[in-house]
Amino acid sequence: MRNTIFEENAEILANVKHPGDQFVMRVRAPKTAAAARPGQFVHLRVSGERPMRRPISIMLTDPEKGTVDLLVKAIGEGTRLLRERKVGETMPMLGPIGRPFDLSDTSKRYVLIGGGVGVPPMIFCAMALRGKAPMVVFAGSEVEFPFALKPSTAILPGVGGNAILGIASLEDRGIASRLASNAGLYGCFEGHVPDLARNYLAALSDDERARCVLLSCGPHPMLHAVARVGREFGIPAYLSLEEHMACGIGGCAGCVVKTIEGGEEKYRRVCVDGPVFESSLLPEFA
Amino acid sequence: MTSESVHPSNIAAELSIDFAGLKLQTPLVLLSGCVGFGEEFTRIEGYSNRDVGAVILKGATLEPRMGNAPHRVYETPSGMLNAIGLQNPGARYVVEHVLPRLPHHETQFWANANGSSLQDYAEVARIFDDSPVTAIEINISCPNVKEGGVHFGNDPVMAARVVEAMRPMTSKPLITKLSPNNADIADTARRVIEAGTDGLSVINTLVGMAVDTEKRKPVIANVSGGLSGPAIKPVALWKVHQTYAVAKQHHIPILGQGGICCAQDALEFAIVGSSAIGIGTGLFYDPLTCKKMLSGISEYLNRHQLETFSSLVGSLQH
Ligand SMILES: Cc1cc2nc3c(=O)[nH]c(=O)nc-3n(C[C@H](O)[C@H](O)[C@H](O)COP(=O)(O)OP(=O)(O)OC[C@H]3O[C@@H](n4cnc5c(N)ncnc54)[C@H](O)[C@@H]3O)c2cc1C
Ligand SMILES: Cc1cc2nc3c(=O)[nH]c(=O)nc-3n(C[C@H](O)[C@H](O)[C@H](O)COP(=O)(O)O)c2cc1C
Ligand code: FES
Repeated sequence: MRNTIFEENAEILANVKHPGDQFVMRVRAPKTAAAARPGQFVHLRVSGERPMRRPISIMLTDPEKGTVDLLVKAIGEGTRLLRERKVGETMPMLGPIGRPFDLSDTSKRYVLIGGGVGVPPMIFCAMALRGKAPMVVFAGSEVEFPFALKPSTAILPGVGGNAILGIASLEDRGIASRLASNAGLYGCFEGHVPDLARNYLAALSDDERARCVLLSCGPHPMLHAVARVGREFGIPAYLSLEEHMACGIGGCAGCVVKTIEGGEEKYRRVCVDGPVFESSLLPEFA
Repeated sequence: MTSESVHPSNIAAELSIDFAGLKLQTPLVLLSGCVGFGEEFTRIEGYSNRDVGAVILKGATLEPRMGNAPHRVYETPSGMLNAIGLQNPGARYVVEHVLPRLPHHETQFWANANGSSLQDYAEVARIFDDSPVTAIEINISCPNVKEGGVHFGNDPVMAARVVEAMRPMTSKPLITKLSPNNADIADTARRVIEAGTDGLSVINTLVGMAVDTEKRKPVIANVSGGLSGPAIKPVALWKVHQTYAVAKQHHIPILGQGGICCAQDALEFAIVGSSAIGIGTGLFYDPLTCKKMLSGISEYLNRHQLETFSSLVGSLQH
């Protein structure tokens, strides 16, 4: 559980801008690439001007090539500085950090729900689950998706109408996916992504639904909705949380979230006790 | 990675120091609240406890404390605000469950004692007296708790009474951590020295705040927080300089701190009178900074033909 954390001078191999201030970055960080598991993140020093690091989820790794892919939305000064970094430049990067999603129970059906820049950990989970356990990926965005899309060939119960597109890299590997958006994007379910997941779950047989586990990452209102869906159907929901961080490795207790464990309130560190927590432990989501 | 491999065994001759009766293998000390209870940074490849003379554990109180609501930290220009609120499992738990797990042969571990009354401070000292920590730092300067903390530190008379209350409870060195938020740090230093402190930690964080203009709310849930990092370095240097004028008369060493990130910073603090060099926020910027600092300090000492780090301490020409 306590994996080694590596400090690598990550070289930027690609930095591709996408609509909605998003960008996909590929960096060379072989040790992190080899050790990372879905749900973990890296702690990046984006620039000397803003030396406090920024936590960013790992979207995908290529352990052979030693690369790590990140999807970032520029929302403030640090992420804007990161967006402007050039191919060939390097930056100090700590990783991989955090308790990953638990994907060990292959008798389960994993329902992966990502929103915006919360989609990356779902992609990593999907790649790790491939060939091991049944799953489906639902992704939501209010701006054009920063991924190649293609019509999904999988037939999913409860999912119909406009929702015909999926994420190409997943579909190519036989992983079923569907998209949701309130922005009228072509080929997407019109609405919030947790509602798309609810439609799917509602159409499953009771037995199938009881085997489902929700894994989710995205904005707070979306995580609230996912926790509600979990409660509605009586299935567990694991949420990946965000909080301001300083050290990123458990030393400062700066990044906490309130939990209730055995009736006792506690503050847990998002960086190393999380970022993934079961929603029933979190009073904010209970 | 650029971390040169400097093993302290090559440089022990110049860099080991005496501090309040303790022998530290290097002058670097990891500061309270920045390195948890000593078990977090050891997960990082390349980090070594042997690079530091001591690790000061997170502030402990008599009873467990949950700490403050989030947000607790926020980056500010050249620094950060924190208001953790002394989240800790209580001094007894630390002694019974944390200290036995720590590698005391790799470095020294010091306690950081906190309280909301003189009795609390005395009891915490008694608890740590019977433990493997080699020193007890007295935090009378925490700005982030409602009672105790900085309220003691800002009143020189109360500060001295805290030291007096703890002094009979332990034979371990007591190191009093002074607040920059008080008017006359030299006066406080003099009083806590007379009350029996063996060393001084200078400085704790400055009180500050940050505002979220979209929400028109304080960013830090506690409203105010402690400012640390390079932004406070000039203040910290000045406070060490002022404190040193008093401390040297009594041969009391100073653990200088406030924004130290690199060898150059460490040298500046030593020159104004820091016998030991504290690193907190600098670890968040670069958790492997200690190795680089040691090699930079050694290079400087060699270039200036100084045989010991200690000979640099208080060498300011003016
Ligand atoms: C575990 C984890 C994984 C994340 N993964 C991604 C990802 O894959 N893609 C992505 O775009 N974003 C991700 N984030 C959010 C990202 O860290 C923030 O958007 C970023 O730190 C904002 O920095 P800034 O300087 O641009 O913004 P500012 O608002 O200017 O930041 C000011 C300070 O607040 C902190 N801060 C502000 N918002 C957040 C936030 N939501 N989470 C944590 N710290 C914050 C910053 O780190 C900085 O210290 C993740 C956060 C966490 C905790
Ligand atoms: C997140 C954080 C937590 C801290 N917690 C404590 C504490 O528990 N006790 C204490 O005496 N000082 C605490 N401090 C203060 C530091 O030990 C140090 O005195 C201060 O940060 C200045 O040094 P720096 O600029 O190198 O960080 C804390 C500082 C930070 C940043
Ligand atoms: S950021 Fe320091 S404990 Fe999580």
